[in-house]
Amino acid sequence: MQTETTPAQADVSELDLVKRCQAGDAEAFDQLVIRYRTRVFAMIYNMVHNEQDAWDLAQDSFVKAWKSIRRFKGKSSFYTWIYRVVMNVTIDWLRKRQIKAGGAEFDDAIQLKEIDPASKTVPKSDPLPHQRMERSEIRERIDKAIAQLSPEHRAVILMKEIEEMQYHEIAESLGCSIGTVMSRLFYARKKLQNTLKDVYENV
Amino acid sequence: MKTFEEKWTAWLDGQLSGRELIEFESSLPDLAAAKVEKRDAQKLGAFLKRELGAQTMSNEEFFSHQLRERIARETEDPSRGREARSTWWTVPRLVWSGATALALFVIFGIAILRERQPGERSEYLTQILNSKVDPAANPNATVSIFESKNENKVTVLWTEGLQSLPADYAAQ
Repeated sequence: MQTETTPAQADVSELDLVKRCQAGDAEAFDQLVIRYRTRVFAMIYNMVHNEQDAWDLAQDSFVKAWKSIRRFKGKSSFYTWIYRVVMNVTIDWLRKRQIKAGGAEFDDAIQLKEIDPASKTVPKSDPLPHQRMERSEIRERIDKAIAQLSPEHRAVILMKEIEEMQYHEIAESLGCSIGTVMSRLFYARKKLQNTLKDVYENV
Repeated sequence: MKTFEEKWTAWLDGQLSGRELIEFESSLPDLAAAKVEKRDAQKLGAFLKRELGAQTMSNEEFFSHQLRERIARETEDPSRGREARSTWWTVPRLVWSGATALALFVIFGIAILRERQPGERSEYLTQILNSKVDPAANPNATVSIFESKNENKVTVLWTEGLQSLPADYAAQ
């Protein structure tokens, strides 16, 4: 994950901010929010594909983080911890929405059956010329492809490819094993390669 | 023991090295095709980073402002409630409240039970019950008393076989 200052400076000041937060200093928490709000919002937006929902979920995540910051023991980095809060809030929300919608949006079992682990991704025969493809159309294609993944698969691919997090950091954020992260990454990549091949080959 | 998926992912991300790398690559049926797929996956990664990594947030300051207000609102109200509860519902208060409630229950219970019991006999009725019918004068005489339990509390004196009403039965 990229930081705006050098890692050492960021770690020291961040730890200091966290300690102040744990003592009830709301201003220190505000500093942490400023540091992470854009990344948290972007991460959630890429998972839910709706600006208002992403805004609300980011707010919920930070409120939850503030309420439970005393439980942060410093065993992992703060950003891994905040991502864990964000992921819990967002995945819960996606799951509840799935239940309300009747479970039609994504289905892990079906998706995993559809993908042959040894399959090769083949370009579609008539790719859309990138000159004609608007940015919004590209974004729409990506959003649709990601929407077909389960919340956990979305989280893994986004944390790996966008946030450039390590396997163990993703595992800590999602509360699962490194093996599970790698396995989810495998299937998420296969799925996206299958559905987005024509887009990223031609843009 | 790593699964194929785990090894593939590690290989794709350049996390395999040394003997593990050699073993994995030699286990692949078509290394050339696998390398093409690896490049393809890397393209996908770069594409996602480029397209999704640029996501920005509008009104960042408003986001923080809204969050500050929400945190202030959500942290103040519960603490007030906790404070109120902690000062009022202390252990001695709980004990006193419990004892008072028990005492009130007992008092009302007794009052209700007394209400349901028949009222005291009137002096007149006591006199009647205590009086005796002379068996010589009235050999088949029977005297029965019925008392209604309703609100009027009517007492009915039923006499049978009496030649004359004894002087004791006269209303006073």
